[in-house]
Amino acid sequence: MRSSPYTALRGTRPGFPRRTLQATLVLAVAAALATAAPAAGQAMAASADSATSAVRSASTTADAASGLAAKPYMGWSSWSMQSSKYPGLNPNGDYSYLTEANVLKQADALATTLKKYGYEYVNIDAGWWMDQNWTSEFDQYGRQTPDPVRFPHGMKSVADHIHAKGLKAGIYLPVGLEKGAYGEGKVPIRNAPGCTTADVVYPDLRTTNGWDSAYKLDFGNPCAQKYIDSQAQMLADWGYDFLKLDGVGPGSFKSGDNYDNVPDIAAWHKAIGDTGRPMHLELSWSLDIGHAADWKKYSNGWRIDTDVECYCKTLVTWENSVNDRWNDAPAWSGKAGPGGWNDLDAVDVGNGEMDGLTPAERQSYMTLWAINKSPLFTGDDLTRLDDYGLSLLTNQEVIAVDQSGSPVARPVTPMGDEQVWGTKNPDGSYTVALFNLGDSSASVTADWASFGFTGAASVRDLWRHQNLGTYKNRITATLPAHGSRLFTVKPGGPALSTTRYEAESGNNTLTGNASPASCDACSGGKKVGNLYLDSRLQFNDVTVKKDGIYTINVAYVSGDPRSVTVYSNSGNGTRLKFPSTGDWSTVQTVSVQLALKAGSNSITFDSGWDYSPDIDRIDVPRTA
Amino acid sequence: MDTQHNASRDNRPSRRGFLSLAATAGAAAALGGLPGFTASAAPSRPVSSPMLSAAAAAKNQLWWRAPGSPTSMIRQGLPVGNGRLGALVSNDPSSELLTITDASLWTGGANDTLQSDGQFPYGRDDFGSLTLLAELTVDLPGHDLGSVDDYRRTLDLAQGLVSASYDLSGVTYQRQIFASRPDDVIVVYFSQLGGGTYTGTVTLAGTHGEHTTTDGTQRCASFGASLANGLKYGAAVTATSGTGTVTVDGTSIRFSGCKDLTVVVSGGTNYAPDAAAGFRDPALDPERLARTKVRDAAGHSASTLLHTHVADFRPVFEQLAVDLGTSSTAQRKLDTWQRVQTRYRDDVPDPELEAAYLQFGRYLMISGSRGVLPMGLQGPWLDGNDPDWMGDYHTDINVQMNYWLADRAGLPDCFDTFTDYCLAQLPSWTDVTRRLFNSPDNRYRNSSGRIAGWTVAISTNPYGGGGWWWHPAGNAWICQNLFEHYEYTQDRAYLEKIYPLLKGAVEFWEARLLTTTVTDASGSAREVLIADSDWSPEQGPLDAKGITYAQELVWNLFGNYRTATGVLGRDTSYGQTVDGLRERLYLPVVSPKTGWLEEWMSPDNLGETTHRHLSPLVGLFPGDRIRPDDSTPKDILAGATALLTARGMNSYGWANAWRSLCWARLKNAEKAYQLVVNNLKPSAGGSNGTAPNLFDIMDMGEGRGIFQIDANFGTPSAMIEMLVYSRPGHVELLPALPAAWAASGSVSGVGVRGGFVADLRWRNGKVTQLTLRSVGGRDTTVFAGGTSRKVSLRPGGSVTLSNLG
Repeated sequence: MRSSPYTALRGTRPGFPRRTLQATLVLAVAAALATAAPAAGQAMAASADSATSAVRSASTTADAASGLAAKPYMGWSSWSMQSSKYPGLNPNGDYSYLTEANVLKQADALATTLKKYGYEYVNIDAGWWMDQNWTSEFDQYGRQTPDPVRFPHGMKSVADHIHAKGLKAGIYLPVGLEKGAYGEGKVPIRNAPGCTTADVVYPDLRTTNGWDSAYKLDFGNPCAQKYIDSQAQMLADWGYDFLKLDGVGPGSFKSGDNYDNVPDIAAWHKAIGDTGRPMHLELSWSLDIGHAADWKKYSNGWRIDTDVECYCKTLVTWENSVNDRWNDAPAWSGKAGPGGWNDLDAVDVGNGEMDGLTPAERQSYMTLWAINKSPLFTGDDLTRLDDYGLSLLTNQEVIAVDQSGSPVARPVTPMGDEQVWGTKNPDGSYTVALFNLGDSSASVTADWASFGFTGAASVRDLWRHQNLGTYKNRITATLPAHGSRLFTVKPGGPALSTTRYEAESGNNTLTGNASPASCDACSGGKKVGNLYLDSRLQFNDVTVKKDGIYTINVAYVSGDPRSVTVYSNSGNGTRLKFPSTGDWSTVQTVSVQLALKAGSNSITFDSGWDYSPDIDRIDVPRTA
Repeated sequence: MDTQHNASRDNRPSRRGFLSLAATAGAAAALGGLPGFTASAAPSRPVSSPMLSAAAAAKNQLWWRAPGSPTSMIRQGLPVGNGRLGALVSNDPSSELLTITDASLWTGGANDTLQSDGQFPYGRDDFGSLTLLAELTVDLPGHDLGSVDDYRRTLDLAQGLVSASYDLSGVTYQRQIFASRPDDVIVVYFSQLGGGTYTGTVTLAGTHGEHTTTDGTQRCASFGASLANGLKYGAAVTATSGTGTVTVDGTSIRFSGCKDLTVVVSGGTNYAPDAAAGFRDPALDPERLARTKVRDAAGHSASTLLHTHVADFRPVFEQLAVDLGTSSTAQRKLDTWQRVQTRYRDDVPDPELEAAYLQFGRYLMISGSRGVLPMGLQGPWLDGNDPDWMGDYHTDINVQMNYWLADRAGLPDCFDTFTDYCLAQLPSWTDVTRRLFNSPDNRYRNSSGRIAGWTVAISTNPYGGGGWWWHPAGNAWICQNLFEHYEYTQDRAYLEKIYPLLKGAVEFWEARLLTTTVTDASGSAREVLIADSDWSPEQGPLDAKGITYAQELVWNLFGNYRTATGVLGRDTSYGQTVDGLRERLYLPVVSPKTGWLEEWMSPDNLGETTHRHLSPLVGLFPGDRIRPDDSTPKDILAGATALLTARGMNSYGWANAWRSLCWARLKNAEKAYQLVVNNLKPSAGGSNGTAPNLFDIMDMGEGRGIFQIDANFGTPSAMIEMLVYSRPGHVELLPALPAAWAASGSVSGVGVRGGFVADLRWRNGKVTQLTLRSVGGRDTTVFAGGTSRKVSLRPGGSVTLSNLG
């Protein structure tokens, strides 16, 4: 969930300050843009790390070795239905869907319907310790305690039921010491003689988390770790296998010292380890990518974006905010792996009417999640899946993409309405997804050259379980608005023969601010950067033997999505936005189409009055 | 006038006609002729297939890999039309949608109560608006685009045929859509290869709240209603199949298990082009007639209907062929929209695409200008009932630009609808002018107090009504178009027909011109005639006397009138009077301040330097008074060139087209070409340029782009003007051939003023062969590459010349 409706939201329910949140997002992006040199941010992160080094324990990479989050987890979560105004879901007020009966009903349905496809977690989201008025309830140790109306038999009973179905149980907490737990600082911390809530927070009661609903924990005092230990032990005692920790910063639309919850996450990681019970730790929401290493170290997954839910009369809508993920996921592609995954949030594709999506949108939704190796947890009503939704959630070829050992896919085209994403699989084949994000139908073409091979390749359609045959050099498909295709492509032809032109070559013409810079990850150890305010990088003498339209691969570095106009010779070019490479030291590639004539050509990257990506090199095929 | 309103009126032309090719000549076009929608004799059916081979058809086909969206029909719908009915077609596999327009389904009326400012109301109720007739939907559940492969749709320009195909579960499904003029219906024919069947629903819906009913015995669904102005209209649809079942169900037609399906739709209004009858045919029941038409047509097989249509359409299309050079293999692999985008991205000429754009303009004219009314700002292609500027006839460039194409592009018969429109409106225009123009509130009234003849408002509707402001010089500009058609055809009977229009316009100006004294550069005073207060479209002072726009147009009008009196042997004495007026007409000078040809009889620039209109250059194009030769004083030519240069190269659709035409006249091939290329820029997010369906889009700001058909005609006109310039007695070949087309090419069927049709070939920029055929002309001189050859022919004769220049 994004804006957990407690504390500040009390009294303002059901309205969510979405506009404000979006404005904050814009500011955050702007701030990132301004950070041409990210060194300062990294230094801050480093100091935070050192402050918490005392409580560090083994990283979650070890978790993967033990089986925890070795693959993206799969399951169900309560929040999508809790947050929706869909008729009948929350008859007793907002978020009232969350009850023992509903959770068990969904657990039973999961066991019956989806378990055999790998879905195993049943995750209780926010509100299990809140009454129908969304007032929090705590035990004598300041720990969240189940609301007796929602969960009359307590949380252990629920976990037991879930386990009896052969499933795993998940639960939820906000980060920090919730204000309601403070009890004037006098509440004792369990199993920590001498520690009270006053000892776990800062004397000035500075607040933290995405809603400022908690006091920030001061891990300079060992009592704070004890508090986390007590929470972790409680969840372990109940038998939970999964914890979603929400409102975590930097992220959750917050930044600054008070919202740096890295120490909290480290403490949780340690506390969970100390319980002896394997417990998946998932972080939420819109986690700061600058701290990806911390998230990876201490957790098993992190929400890269705001809530997918729309808080409207359906579970989600395309524009709010399913389609954000196409823009936001690429930055994270290099951050995920066994032990910790990029979490794109719930995949609500199981019932078109309730989801609020077209069939095409539902397929694209599931496709993007799968190629990003996101956790696959649905927020749908599993007792009301429609046939199409069931086919989407249970397509084993698509699930296999999500669960495979291949790297996370990336766009191989610039951002825009028509996109091609892909990744190379360990067996030498490629997973290739075509998307049309536009509001009208469009044809989308995947050029094999974008993936570095050429000639004939066999294509399998994963959604249709159908071998489509052999396609030479490219495949084109007509997609409905917001539609997609998902293929496995097995190259049969040779690797693409290209000529490499380095950006830093003395043969090129640099104008405006454009200048070479060192770059460890770049070919030749250099790139050309500072492409802003009417600056240009012009590759000269790009030579081909024949006139044609060439698929040119551009290797670039861009810590955020940036646009550049690319043209050959005297063309007008196209303004293209390159997806983020995640940071300023990672090189990625997208391909662009340009006409070249036999003989010598120029290819130009023009910033216009904007900031453009740094360019490492271009690879030009020998033949079109 | 707010800015939007200003912008509005500039942009569109209109047009549409009703005479069939066969009926064009002579008396059939008289007032009170056939209404647009009428019972007609059984069409003659071709005895052999008129269909082109696949290879031959491919030369004039556009194609796309994506269907249209119901929310974006104006950008993505493919146009079909039978000259009267127009439709945009989505080609979505699971939901074929046609938005159908009848050119006469206009709200509004005579609109002859002026506002307090002496100008015309301009609303959808008073002046009126063109509106949609119906939406036809054919739903095919299970054929979702996401489930099909190898989707493709094609617009066959030569045969007037939209088709789409896709594969689904091993079956190739195909559909063809065409608007037949002989059968007066639109046909949607579904077929398949591989053992598939069709199951679904046909729905016909009005767009004004009509109630559709079905008639089980006829398998028809239809509706009929009246607008508030009393215009009756109606539409009907039927469906047939050789297999499966077709049943009427409630308000729709259901079909099941059909190996093929033929859907036939028609409709219309009881509009009649007769002012005396109040522009209505009271005896006509449009709904009943629509039922009759679809029932009659559905009695024939789809292939019979198709062959009848193609036999009618194709010969008209084939009156002009153009080859601007060969495109690359890579370009040919791209679909039309990709080619438009690639053309812009790489700025690499795509001669076949550019030729196709020209032919697309001709296709629109054949499809939209063979009915009872000419084409307005959008022709008969709407996506809603509130087209910008009512989809009307704008008389200060747009309707003129539409019809510049007809004769140039081998479609002289498509011009007739414009003529017939003007003739049908003339009684109303005359009445309104005489009653209301000299209203004391009208700032443009004649100071002389006299009134005669007729003129128009900036906007006109089909009910004799004007909209927005009076447009005194509009009559002269309409007559310029009308007379040029005579120059192309040398058709004396036609000249007789339009003579009342010419004479009425002359009389209007005789009553309006003012005498004033000007001082020449030499310092000598001179008495001249100037136009009374007027607004140079659509900028600068609202009340300026002697605006260049009016002076040039009246000079042209008087000259043409004198030619007409001479040819027809009429009004000789009055003609001499007009000669005297013309000799005294003030003609513009070059401003010593700006170096430009003056627009307002003032040395100052009183308007926007880069304004879209080229009103002061009407003497350069469409007129010929200003020519890049010794007949024009050097300073005037330089002043006109400087003004055109100052107007710039980056406007939008029609304004770019007009600029291109002017640069072609000045023989600046590369500027003329660049402006064509500018209009080919792909429109994105509502920006100026070309939509996926090749409709020209004008940017209205805030992401809203609207269709303006004038550029789709003006740009092809410019392309032809770059290849052939003519005026009576003078034909110039390749006056402005751009490098992109120079290697080799040909064009055949180009209209030549003076009564000829030209076919020419070129190589390396030089004309290699010319064939000139007389369609009524006798003597002319051919200029090419610095040489000239006199040609004398008898009507019907032809001559072929080689190695000119």
